[in-house]
Amino acid sequence: MRVITGIMLLVLAAIPAGISSAAEISADNIRFIEYPNFPDAHSTWGSIGYSSQHDKVFIGVTNHRDKVGLYEYDVAADNIRLLGFLPELAHLRPWQWQGKIHSRITEGPDGAMYFSTDGGESREEFLMNHPQGYNGGYFMRWDPAGNRFTNLGNGLRYESIKDITIDRLNGNLLGISYPQGHLLLYDQERNDVRDLGRVASDHIPRVLFSDKFGNMYYDDWRQRLVKYEHDTRQLLFNPDSVAMFANTPGYRIITGITGFAEDKQTGLIYLVTYSSKLIAFYPSRLGFGKMVDLGGVYDGDKAPYDYYCPNLSLGANGKLYYFIGGHGKYAIKDQTVLMEFDPQTRTKRIVLRFPLDTISEVTGHGVADSVGNLYFCGRRRAAGAVDVGESGASRPFMIIFNPTRAIDG
Amino acid sequence: MLNRLLLLSAALLLCAAQARAEYTFFTPEGAFAVEVSLENPGPRLRLPIYRNRITSLAAQGDWAIGGTTAQEGLSPFLFAVSLSAQELKVAHDLTADIPGQRAIRSGFGRVGEALYAGTIAQGEGAGGHLIKTTFNGKEFAVEDLGIPLEGEGIFALTADPERRMLYGISFPHGKFFSYEIASARVKVFDETAITKEQHGYYHRYALTDEDVLSRALVVDKQGRVWGSRPVNRIFYYDPATDKLVTIEEELPTVWGRRPLGRADSWAVAPDGTIYGGNAGDGQLFRIDPVSLRVSNLGKPIMSPRMPGLAFGADGRLYGIAGALPGYAHFFVYNTASGDYIDLGNPRVPLIVPEVDSEFPWRGFQIATVTATRDGKYILLGEDESLSQLIVLPVDGAPAQQWP
Repeated sequence: MRVITGIMLLVLAAIPAGISSAAEISADNIRFIEYPNFPDAHSTWGSIGYSSQHDKVFIGVTNHRDKVGLYEYDVAADNIRLLGFLPELAHLRPWQWQGKIHSRITEGPDGAMYFSTDGGESREEFLMNHPQGYNGGYFMRWDPAGNRFTNLGNGLRYESIKDITIDRLNGNLLGISYPQGHLLLYDQERNDVRDLGRVASDHIPRVLFSDKFGNMYYDDWRQRLVKYEHDTRQLLFNPDSVAMFANTPGYRIITGITGFAEDKQTGLIYLVTYSSKLIAFYPSRLGFGKMVDLGGVYDGDKAPYDYYCPNLSLGANGKLYYFIGGHGKYAIKDQTVLMEFDPQTRTKRIVLRFPLDTISEVTGHGVADSVGNLYFCGRRRAAGAVDVGESGASRPFMIIFNPTRAIDG
Repeated sequence: MLNRLLLLSAALLLCAAQARAEYTFFTPEGAFAVEVSLENPGPRLRLPIYRNRITSLAAQGDWAIGGTTAQEGLSPFLFAVSLSAQELKVAHDLTADIPGQRAIRSGFGRVGEALYAGTIAQGEGAGGHLIKTTFNGKEFAVEDLGIPLEGEGIFALTADPERRMLYGISFPHGKFFSYEIASARVKVFDETAITKEQHGYYHRYALTDEDVLSRALVVDKQGRVWGSRPVNRIFYYDPATDKLVTIEEELPTVWGRRPLGRADSWAVAPDGTIYGGNAGDGQLFRIDPVSLRVSNLGKPIMSPRMPGLAFGADGRLYGIAGALPGYAHFFVYNTASGDYIDLGNPRVPLIVPEVDSEFPWRGFQIATVTATRDGKYILLGEDESLSQLIVLPVDGAPAQQWP
């Protein structure tokens, strides 16, 4: 049964002075899809990924307490379905509750989808061995070929695994724990988790990414790239920080990279930081490749580092698309904006604007299908969800955006 | 400076909002962290990854002097941080003096201006060395005093400056030894060593030698040396009789968890009372120096471990409670009233010279605690793959329950 619900989009037409309009992109280019059979769904947290082998999108949706639903969107059939809830899929007991999937859902070389789990609430960080405390996050695997779920085991006790990335050659995973910021290497073949040590403090970066050489990346408190190098199996630290604006506050620097998108043709990886910079990163097999500062994500009346962008995607037209806003921080008062950035000309423009009860925050990194659709996790402000979870009252939905053509729905 | 403070305040407020949590961090004015460790630091002086767990720490005038523990196969450092400059100034690779060592984890014993420590060597069966080090504000001078126990490393060390004696616990066997500085004479006491039967007992709990040996020693006002020995016992060495005495009362235990007991830390109060932290369940305890009665003072937080204690200038006892799989809480104990105040997970601004505003830094795993000689600052040495030094002023500590 098709359970997709297309909703009437409220897209604001007015474009602020000084930024050119984008008449060719309209509400017809974007579509929202609701998650069925989860009435108390609250949010999604970058927990989205695309399976190129199966042409499906996978999303983790949470009630922001103890129930996480795993969804599959079949691109060809235009159908979304609930695969199940993590407690049942992973045989978790109530004391092994998980607040969310905070990681990307990433495709492995074996065609399976990999992700990790997070506590997500204050009780995770503080209650520990209390009956309501948090047992720790898990590495998990969903194999679309056989619809088979595998719990790959715990990382560190009491610690979430905020995000993971994958070595595309051997399937090993690199994760970051929360709150203590330990890099964890999961070796698929040996079924072993190795603690590579703490590389962050206070507010830890939530994003890891990988390149075509099998290298995996994170960033330390100075916003320097940290690389687990495939060929040498060594942890390397770049001596230089990823570019930042002058006078960027330290609390922004330590939060590091918030989004990425890869050009699959060239291997070039675009990064966006918590201090609002766009970067082009040219990875190399050994050592660190070149990084080019592309400028800020938005030119507005705030400090240039003060625009919140926890998402990024690359269109088939070679342009970057990202939504600005979330966690109470917006470029335009009470609006989320969808931006287009041309890396060639380094020009940017607003292409769509949304009130917060339509879109209040967007996550997701470089999730694109073979026909140029870009996928994001969306949240909208929803007063009816005020008693659900932390991080604001909201309802989640999936966003499909195609910058070059209208989407049927 | 004002701008810097305003920026910091704004940053901490924003971070608190970011974290969305129901707590306030204890970040008194004047608190800071020094970036001691950074892998691939470029032109900056920093300690490299996996060689910098701050397992020995002492304060000397404007300087914090540290000794580190490295991963197997890597060598440790001595280092010096200027507290006024808030910067690592000297890093001294111990390999230059004594190759083949892995750890300076004993703690320092001070005699005059010299600091003494013990090492643990790479691999099994190699002996650890006693070292004497002096720091002149620019560099370390290290003297190798040799291997006091063949085949044994040095797990814990303290000094009696009046008697010019060093006392230690060996690793892995846990023997107590004394070292007379003037004559270099070593005397070994086997009574504290782990017996074969005790090994069997610990095996049932999957506990290793490193888990059960006395992690620290302390000299009291009478020159007695206090430590713990298996299983869960407290001993002292009496220099007057040159004998070890195991006292009647044990370390305070939680029922069923006796095998976890060992001295994690010690501090002697100005009045001579001996305070200790029990690693097993993180209880603070007190030993009356006259009656030798042991009092269980309870525990400030739920976690096991109490890796460090130090008295501040205000006469109160400061310490760290908790360690993996949890994390550190900084606490203060009023020895007169018996009140604990949990000051929570320490968060302070990390000083990074080339960045305009400080980085908020949380100390999760702490190996060592000490006070400056004037008692105005408490120093915390981290126990991480990249460890930093945290400095907290005693002046900022609240007088009553907080926040």
